[in-house]
Amino acid sequence: MSSALLQRAKGVVVAAVDVYRGTDDGRRLADVLQRMDEPLRVAIAGRVKSGKSTLLNALVGERLAPTDAGECTRVVTWYADGHTYSVTLRLRDGRSTPARFHRDGPSLEIDLGAVAVESIAKIDVTWPTRALRTATLIDTPGVGSMSEQTSARSWAFIAPEDEATPADAVLYLMKHLHATDLEFLRAFHDREVSQPNPVNSIGVLSRADEIGVGRLDAMTSARKVARRLAAEPKVRRVMQTVVPVAGLLAETAATLTEIEVKYLRQIAEHPAGEVDALLLTADRFLTRMPGLGLTELDRRDMLGRFGLFGIRLAVSLLRRRPATTATELARMMTGHSGLDDLLEILRTLFFERRDVLKARSALLAVDAVIRDNPVPGSATLATAVEEVIAGAHPFNEMRVLSSLRAGTVKGRPAALEELERVIGGGGSQLHQRLALSADAGPVAQREAVEETLLRWQKRGASALSDHSLSVAASVAVRSCEGMLEDLRSRS
Amino acid sequence: MSQTAPAGAPTAGATALVELGLKACTAFGRDDLASRLGTARARLADPTFHVVVVGEFKKGKSSLVNALVGATVCAVDDDIATALPTYIRYGTETAANLLFGTESPEPRRQAIAFAEVRSHVTGTRPPGQPGDAPSGVEVLLPRSMLAPGLVVVDTPGLGGLGSRHAAASLAATSLADAVVFVTDASQEITATEYEFLKRARDMCPNVVCVVTKRDFYPEWRRIADLDGGHLNGLGNIPVMTVSSLLRARAVKDNDRELNEESGFGELVSFVTGSVTGGAVRGVIREAASEVEAVCAQLGRDFGLERAALADPEAARAVVADLSEAKRRAEELKESAAKWSTTLGDGVADLSADVDFDLRARIRQVLAEADSAIEETDPADTWPQMQPWLESRVSAELVTNYTMLRDRSVELSQTVGDHFRQAAGEVLAAVSVHDPTPRLEASQAAAKATAGLNLEKMTARKQAMVALKGSYGGILMFTLLGSMVGMSLMPIAVPIGLMMGRAGLKEERKRQLASRQAQAKNAVRKYCDEVSFVMAKDSRDTLRRIQRELRDHYGRRASELQRSTTQALAAANEAAKRTETERVTRLRDVEAEIKRLTTLEERAKALRAANAPVTG
Repeated sequence: MSSALLQRAKGVVVAAVDVYRGTDDGRRLADVLQRMDEPLRVAIAGRVKSGKSTLLNALVGERLAPTDAGECTRVVTWYADGHTYSVTLRLRDGRSTPARFHRDGPSLEIDLGAVAVESIAKIDVTWPTRALRTATLIDTPGVGSMSEQTSARSWAFIAPEDEATPADAVLYLMKHLHATDLEFLRAFHDREVSQPNPVNSIGVLSRADEIGVGRLDAMTSARKVARRLAAEPKVRRVMQTVVPVAGLLAETAATLTEIEVKYLRQIAEHPAGEVDALLLTADRFLTRMPGLGLTELDRRDMLGRFGLFGIRLAVSLLRRRPATTATELARMMTGHSGLDDLLEILRTLFFERRDVLKARSALLAVDAVIRDNPVPGSATLATAVEEVIAGAHPFNEMRVLSSLRAGTVKGRPAALEELERVIGGGGSQLHQRLALSADAGPVAQREAVEETLLRWQKRGASALSDHSLSVAASVAVRSCEGMLEDLRSRS
Repeated sequence: MSQTAPAGAPTAGATALVELGLKACTAFGRDDLASRLGTARARLADPTFHVVVVGEFKKGKSSLVNALVGATVCAVDDDIATALPTYIRYGTETAANLLFGTESPEPRRQAIAFAEVRSHVTGTRPPGQPGDAPSGVEVLLPRSMLAPGLVVVDTPGLGGLGSRHAAASLAATSLADAVVFVTDASQEITATEYEFLKRARDMCPNVVCVVTKRDFYPEWRRIADLDGGHLNGLGNIPVMTVSSLLRARAVKDNDRELNEESGFGELVSFVTGSVTGGAVRGVIREAASEVEAVCAQLGRDFGLERAALADPEAARAVVADLSEAKRRAEELKESAAKWSTTLGDGVADLSADVDFDLRARIRQVLAEADSAIEETDPADTWPQMQPWLESRVSAELVTNYTMLRDRSVELSQTVGDHFRQAAGEVLAAVSVHDPTPRLEASQAAAKATAGLNLEKMTARKQAMVALKGSYGGILMFTLLGSMVGMSLMPIAVPIGLMMGRAGLKEERKRQLASRQAQAKNAVRKYCDEVSFVMAKDSRDTLRRIQRELRDHYGRRASELQRSTTQALAAANEAAKRTETERVTRLRDVEAEIKRLTTLEERAKALRAANAPVTG
């Protein structure tokens, strides 16, 4: 179903390119068309120091993005798959120039040469690596540092930009803030990324280990906090869910070295009481137990790579099972960091919905062009866009999801929960829509779909149902019909 | 009412001095001056001063407060937040109360179990009238640190420093004796934190910045240095670093080494030394000033009697001048007196100005809100609009309140000046009648002016006391929280697109216009309600200030009147006495003057000994 949608959307974009041929907009639309065949574009946004670059590195599995406060972190940087390793600077005046780079330190070091940072619109990095084949990642500069002009009186940060944005989906990184926090809500309206919507946004509670101040059960606390945040109406309106991740731990686990494992083993060998006393504070770790066999510089590096939480966790894992190999340790750490959960959510909510999200971005782009710059022929184009938007089932599902999140669909909580599931709110796979186990057989699946379809037909027709629920029910019914078609075409 | 602190050595000396003064007043039949010293004594017995702890959400405020008072008073959990202010003071036994209402000086109290404190402080408000909701929680602990009268206030960090809760915290800092600003070692202070600190600094001269969690973040020294650099421009704000976690462990295990590592030593010194010490010294100074003033007045009256007794020729002149002085003193009491009209006019003007200022500010906010609503679709922006509006309005309220506060202080000083001028004229009428040698004459003059200077010191305090009464920090916390929450009817994201393609655009436009109208309405309603409540509170505050100042100077005028009346009677008596009677009386008077002088000297010495410690 979604590929058909993508085809229809492509048709509209092709027509749009025709209408605006020869203009700047035409060139923009040609880009839009090309984008539709490329990997999903996922932007990583958030306030300054929320851990964006660290998370990006963890997702890619390599230390590419610089995580210090250097100049390059102030420019939007795109990381995409490609045939070769290259770095290109796209300047504001439209020119492009390749940049020299090297990578022997902890991250990619880009030599800007004579180019001033202010004149760069974005940096394009191509890096052949598997992780980037599924998605192109966009690292955005944070906002909210001491030196930035923030005006509490301006509406700029609230008014959303309607213009087409380059990202198909967004990961919003937030530190542990309360949902009423203005800063928290402010973060959603960064100009650089697409308008937040529960369909294409996921919240990440980054630096999750700090929530429990580095206690070993920090992640349990963090999950509780994330769950509570995810249930807040203000949050539900703008993002699908909130996932806690200890970013630093995830990045380090993905890039663990043998020497680091060796040091960790050395620490774990000492008696537990001594080690606990050593790890009580960061200062102690740096200065005590000289017999540990690590210099202060080594220890400082370890703290920088793992954080106190990471060291405590790794040491406790090694102590429990000293025979753990480096690979096993890395895998366990990744699990504890919450990265695995994030990847699973990304897969379900973003990557499996790739076509729908791509179609949506493309149509939004066309819509924006039509509104900003109407020309002869754009009226027909507008109708075509509306046809797709109004008629495409996946978009209807998205709309119902948004309405559910906004609280405008009235019904019993259990019914609304089921509705969200059936329209794909928890994943677009059949077993996810119907809350079946993943290995359920085709017979069980068909039975479940038919039963659900009947139930929602009844709900839609019932005089007791609120109008909003009836409308939503018809979408649910259509989703079930789609699932039946799929099952039939498979067998 | 707070429990009386155990007899503290620092104030014992001052109390004894005040008792002596009281005895003298009673002996000379001056119950008006006696009651003045009675108030001073009461204040010495039960001083109260506040340390307000403020800071962003999740920076470690509550942990710090717990570690400071050595008890788990404030709820600390990764997942919850402080929603109500908590006032921690001394009590002979551990106890807790819910505070209701904003009446001054004492809010209504309702006892609760200590174990319930946490749920009240973090829980949501129970449904019902806004008036029923508690405005704070009070906890009494038998901690020696709190004994001298210290009250530690934990404020809600909810909503961050840009929100309406922050405005409430800011108002609280204006009434605090010291502010402890809490940030943590995870990053440098942000622009928001800096702005808040700047405003807190304007409100309260005694501010420290504490960087917490130094056990967890390896870069804590660097962060503390950076913070210190940023704060350089704000004047003297010391930066301290602590670990509440280590402190709690150290206290539990009685581990001195851990205590060192916790860094709490500096903070505790600050609280007990600079804050408590400073506040206690302040209270002693005030008491000593009162004793000095009373002695000066009594001394002057006796001095005049002495002048009349010593030289019968001069006596007639003394009586004549005293009559003039008495007349002036009576004028001082009348409503036509300059200080009184200054006060009345001043308050009326200020009330009008504050009201106008508030309206103008709210109108500005409305204009901004309207224009933004017109440019956007409330369907997208409404959830952000509410906190924006609350924060925007709060900021204006705080500015308006600051104006009221500053101008009230100004007014009280002007009124004081006018009073002193007139009082000076009263005294000038008789200043020449001191047949004592030059030195003593100048001493007498100095005494008179000394009395006047002391008045100046308390004028500001008067205004602040009146402000404390109504604003008490408590009001601000509840005021903004009890506002009817803004709500729009649920925004219908057009699921109705399913209806069909025709009319889609028109439907969209209509729905948008309707949403915008709704939004503007809701904003207006909110602003109206805020203005209404705020305006009333400002008026009440100003009325209270007016009453306090009127009563204060009225009392001074009465004292002056009584003094001149009594002195006049004594001078008349002196003229009628026989030679021997005069000599005996003169001897007695000289003795009284000597006693009063001694007492006055002692009071002066006590005041000097408790001068504010600088640096």
